[in-house]
Amino acid sequence: MNRRKFLKASGILLSGTACAPGLPILTGCSSTRADRERVLSKYKWGMVINLEKCRLDCDACMVACRKENNVALHGDKRWDIHWIRKVNVRQKDSPDAAWKPVPLLCNHCEEPPCAQVCPVQATYKRDDGIVIVDHHRCIGCRYCVIACPYNARYFNYKENPDWPNKEYPKRSHGVAESCNFCAHLLDQGKKPACVEACDKINANALCHGDLNDPDSEISRLISSNPVKRLREDLGTEPKVYYIGL
Amino acid sequence: MSIKGVWATHRNAVIVTVSTLIILFPIAYSAASSILIQTPDPFLELPDEKYRECVRDTEYMRFHHMDLLKEIREEFVRYGNRGEVALDSCRGCHTSRRRFCDQCHNSVSLSLDCFGCHYYPEPDGAS
Ligand code: SF4
Ligand code: SF4
Repeated sequence: MNRRKFLKASGILLSGTACAPGLPILTGCSSTRADRERVLSKYKWGMVINLEKCRLDCDACMVACRKENNVALHGDKRWDIHWIRKVNVRQKDSPDAAWKPVPLLCNHCEEPPCAQVCPVQATYKRDDGIVIVDHHRCIGCRYCVIACPYNARYFNYKENPDWPNKEYPKRSHGVAESCNFCAHLLDQGKKPACVEACDKINANALCHGDLNDPDSEISRLISSNPVKRLREDLGTEPKVYYIGL
Repeated sequence: MSIKGVWATHRNAVIVTVSTLIILFPIAYSAASSILIQTPDPFLELPDEKYRECVRDTEYMRFHHMDLLKEIREEFVRYGNRGEVALDSCRGCHTSRRRFCDQCHNSVSLSLDCFGCHYYPEPDGAS
């Protein structure tokens, strides 16, 4: 064995011994991870919004969302945050056509661009398909705000002065946020606050449920109605469906 | 003997003495301040009457409560497993943040961000 070969062989040997203790850690992690995933991966949450039932001057869902999730309203549109917001649209070339209200929220894309650009994986897709921000980890770079093609993401330029729901944390200055389908309520088996509010005024325009379950109301609505999603051409595979768009 | 005269005759000795004093100053200062300036010991309020036992033993909690909080946060936020323990459950026994959490944190000049977003009420109304 010459000098060169000896060095090579000892290098390989050394790196082998250095990596070996790491192996059980790596394999150990992946197995516990798999156990955890099963908790959420039964579900695939989605929403159907029936625009024929949505009322023009109603803001029940927006108000309920603000109250449940402590979403900041500063009264200045540079800083206001909306997890759900409504825009009114009508046909471009017919000025007499009726305005149609369209609620917009995070679409919880199957291929979320916001999560792909997040440099610290603060935004990620949970196993039940909800795209959520871990605000502890967010560094406030605002990449996701730019990446989202639906303008569903907002940034906390200021501290929120109000705190209506003390049971739910608010967000500090300097993190991004968007709708999370009221994940904390879903975990308790409840419905998102906007759906609850819409049902309460008997408009029933919002339907939230499990897309994995073929018998759920939402799956039936999707299969029995012509549904559209926003900007399907982008390939983000949104999970919010619109009837009558 | 004038200052000029001292400087002329004992130049090296003066330089050595002055620089030694400068070097020793921080050590002497901190030693003196720890003796002279008395910071009150943190006084931790005992838990509420309904307290039976903490989620971990006291020794662990004293040194590793932050690790426990980080662990349950990761479990819940990222994997959706809400365990038995949460920041809210601390609130049940340690009713006052000011008289419990802040005591040690303040005495070691640690400022945390938890309570900017998570609610921890004060029993006497102030939050
Ligand atoms: S709608 Fe925007 S914020 Fe929501 S998942 Fe898609 S890209 Fe992300
Ligand atoms: S602002 Fe926060 S959530 Fe958005 S990309 Fe940056 S770190 Fe991720």
